[in-house]
Amino acid sequence: MRNAARCTALLFLLGVVVGCGASGAKSAHAPTVRVTVQDFRIKAPKRVPAGDVVFLVQNKGPDAHEFIVVRSDQRLPLRKDDVTADEDAFEKLTVGVLEPGAPGSVRKLRVRLERGHYELLCNMSGHYLGGMRTEIEVT
Amino acid sequence: MRRASRHFSPFSSRGRRTLLAIVLTFAISSTLSVAVSIWATSRSKHQAAVIQVAARQRTLAERYVQEVLLLQSGKRADPAKTAAILRESALALLDGGPVPSVDGDDDETTIVGQTDPRVRAELRQQLNLVTDLTEAGAAYLRGQTLPNSELTADERVEVKDPVQRLRILAALTSNVSLNAARSIAARADRQIVDLVRLQIALGVGGLLMSLAFAFAIMTATRRQTAHFRSLVTASTDLVLVFGQDGCRYASRSVSRALEQEEPELLGNGFAQFVHPDDRAALADACLNGRPTELLFRIQDPFGAWRQLEAHVTDLRDDKHVAGVVLNARDVSERVRLEEELTRQAFHDGLTGLPNRALFRDRLDQALARSQRSGEPLAVLLLDLDGFKQVNDSLGHDAGDQLLAEVARRLAAVVRPSDTVARLGGDEFAVLLEESDDSASVSLGGRLLERLEDTITVGGHELAVGGSMGIALHAGGAGAGEELLRDADVAMYAAKEAGNGGYELFQPDMARQFGELLGLKQELRLGLDRNEFLLHYQPEIALGTATIVGVEALLRWNSPTRGLTPPLRFIPLAEASGLIVKLGEFVLREACAQTARWRADRLLPEPFVTWVNVSGKQIATGQLHTVVQRALVDAGLPAEYLGLEITETALIEEGPSRERARFQLEALHELGVRIAIDDFGTGFSSLGQLRDFPLDMIKVDRSFVHGVERSDKEAAITANLVSLAHALGVVAIAEGIESEEQLASMRALGCDLAQGFLFAHPLTASELEVVLENPSAAFALTVPQGSPT
Repeated sequence: MRNAARCTALLFLLGVVVGCGASGAKSAHAPTVRVTVQDFRIKAPKRVPAGDVVFLVQNKGPDAHEFIVVRSDQRLPLRKDDVTADEDAFEKLTVGVLEPGAPGSVRKLRVRLERGHYELLCNMSGHYLGGMRTEIEVT
Repeated sequence: MRRASRHFSPFSSRGRRTLLAIVLTFAISSTLSVAVSIWATSRSKHQAAVIQVAARQRTLAERYVQEVLLLQSGKRADPAKTAAILRESALALLDGGPVPSVDGDDDETTIVGQTDPRVRAELRQQLNLVTDLTEAGAAYLRGQTLPNSELTADERVEVKDPVQRLRILAALTSNVSLNAARSIAARADRQIVDLVRLQIALGVGGLLMSLAFAFAIMTATRRQTAHFRSLVTASTDLVLVFGQDGCRYASRSVSRALEQEEPELLGNGFAQFVHPDDRAALADACLNGRPTELLFRIQDPFGAWRQLEAHVTDLRDDKHVAGVVLNARDVSERVRLEEELTRQAFHDGLTGLPNRALFRDRLDQALARSQRSGEPLAVLLLDLDGFKQVNDSLGHDAGDQLLAEVARRLAAVVRPSDTVARLGGDEFAVLLEESDDSASVSLGGRLLERLEDTITVGGHELAVGGSMGIALHAGGAGAGEELLRDADVAMYAAKEAGNGGYELFQPDMARQFGELLGLKQELRLGLDRNEFLLHYQPEIALGTATIVGVEALLRWNSPTRGLTPPLRFIPLAEASGLIVKLGEFVLREACAQTARWRADRLLPEPFVTWVNVSGKQIATGQLHTVVQRALVDAGLPAEYLGLEITETALIEEGPSRERARFQLEALHELGVRIAIDDFGTGFSSLGQLRDFPLDMIKVDRSFVHGVERSDKEAAITANLVSLAHALGVVAIAEGIESEEQLASMRALGCDLAQGFLFAHPLTASELEVVLENPSAAFALTVPQGSPT
């Protein structure tokens, strides 16, 4: 019994290690895209390869910022306040969202990108129209 | 108990340090906790104001836009004021300072600036956005448009519509303000949480310390309580606490002593056991706390009164006791012992009568009374006759019984107020108060009569008489010492007059007997004080010129009279009976000294130490036992001891002569030598001497000296020597003082000689020198060619 339990534990551990190794190998395939957000800009490479991509989002402050990835080649519609983008309107085109992150934080957002035109933005009140949007081309 | 409490310390020095540390920690943590609480309270109140101001910026930004639009549309509005408030608030949030009030809102307040870098960055951004917003608003009102590049907050507003542009800037300002307020609140939250944690830590620490402190105090208190409880309960001291309402506490020892439970003793319970005569004093002490020492009696369960000695401590002012404390100890045994010692010191153990000290005390008191009252008094001094003989022949137990019976008889005759005392030995004294001449004399007579009735002791019917001296004191001043001495003189006179009588003291008696009485007293003391010693006069064998023995001679080295010759005191010693004691001393000392010489191998063979024995010693009937004891105690063989007995002691007819013969024969059989002293002076017949065991005859010095005076006397002396030889004993010439005397005695056939010609009596150490070299000392005195 004890031996059996020990074997099970060993197998489970092995499985975890193998699994980790597999996922590590998998993320190694996904290229990392470094993005910085700060008052009131988003800096990102113009071109990003299609497929699985990991956005490494660093907030340089001084404010907290969101990070939203939307596939769109036209201007995003605004809410009635004329200040923020209407996220509900392009919900289906949104491929990834990071909720507001504190200044100094570095976060990852894993998305699958297809070829096309994407817009990166922070939609906190006034931020989008205050300059926090950038476009990338996925090839 | 109170003394004990002063010395008792519940804490060791280490314990005291620990306790101090605990108390200090407790005090510090409490103080810190309170300080933190106060600080945190003021801080959180303050942060609330800051957050309120930060949050208000959001509203103000939106209000500013509306006021700008209102003003633009021609309505009344004051956006410039709002802009100023926005700006001042932003500055105050950043670096501290007064925050202006908004109309209809809160009051003006002053806040401190933020220190956290991230919060400051947000606030700076807020300030930038406020600048951008208000400038954009002002430009709009002026009809201008601000270019993107002039914005300070690094924003790029690409919207052309100035209103929307304003709204965006307001939204940004509002958003950043909100975020800043959140940051400040979060930070305040963190601070509060930290403070709460610190307070919890301090609280827990303080609580632990309090517990430790309380535990230490409890332990100490418990130890102290246990200490005192065990002191009180284990102590044999009786501890009682009294209040207004009587006994409030009685220790277990009290319960034990009285066999009563504590409740029975409380209130008036204890007083029931106190001796009625002592209750008032005890109650008084218990009420007033004085006197501090108290003696009282309690009745134990067996009905006996126990003496208690109590220390009274007034603790009425001590709120823990609020009463008078009695620490009592049972001193019954001590009191009994003291009484017994007092009794022993003043009473004669054998008869139970007062002793000389008490008699003197009573006499002095009686004289003092007499001096006041003028009443006469009398001192009767009684000396038993024949007591010594009873003691010696029937033993000391019989003598003791006799004395006890005499004491009873004396006490039975006198009045209860009179004092009968035993002054020592067989001497009794009676003190008669308020008794004149005739009454005293008649009582004295009755006492003697009563005494003469036969007394049965150990199966023997004894007739004891006494000699009584009576000294009368007519009244007035007088000295006890003199009265006693007068009675002594009178008694001596009675003794002289004959047995069984009394004499009244007369002043002329003092002259007659005074000196003798003094001498007798001194002799008694001298015996006690070892003032007597022995000298030894060598006895020389005329044939060999060697020492064959010594005569032990008693000397009295009196501190008042100097070295006193025997002639001065022996007759008195004989008359007073002291000779028996003196004789015993001589026997013991001579035996002991001879045994020492023998042990030192100084003695030639044979050697005899001759000791003079008094007729009185023989008359006691105890001579042989006394001699035997002396020999045994000294470890001396009997043949080294000789007894010289005066001729007169042997010639009495009757039973005493038989007794003497019996004792001497017993001693002779042991090996003790017997000699007749002063031979020729007692007119003893040959027949009388033949009955006695004899070894030597001492020719009295008068005959030795007479040899030179006349032929007639020389013939008598020659007869004496012949008589000795006829009896088969050795003849020794006493008092040889010249060569002529020596030659004569030698010619008469005398065997031994002693006298100044050879040696004066010598001290023991002087004799030792002679014994070490006998030939050197006596060689010259032996004529050439003398017969051996």
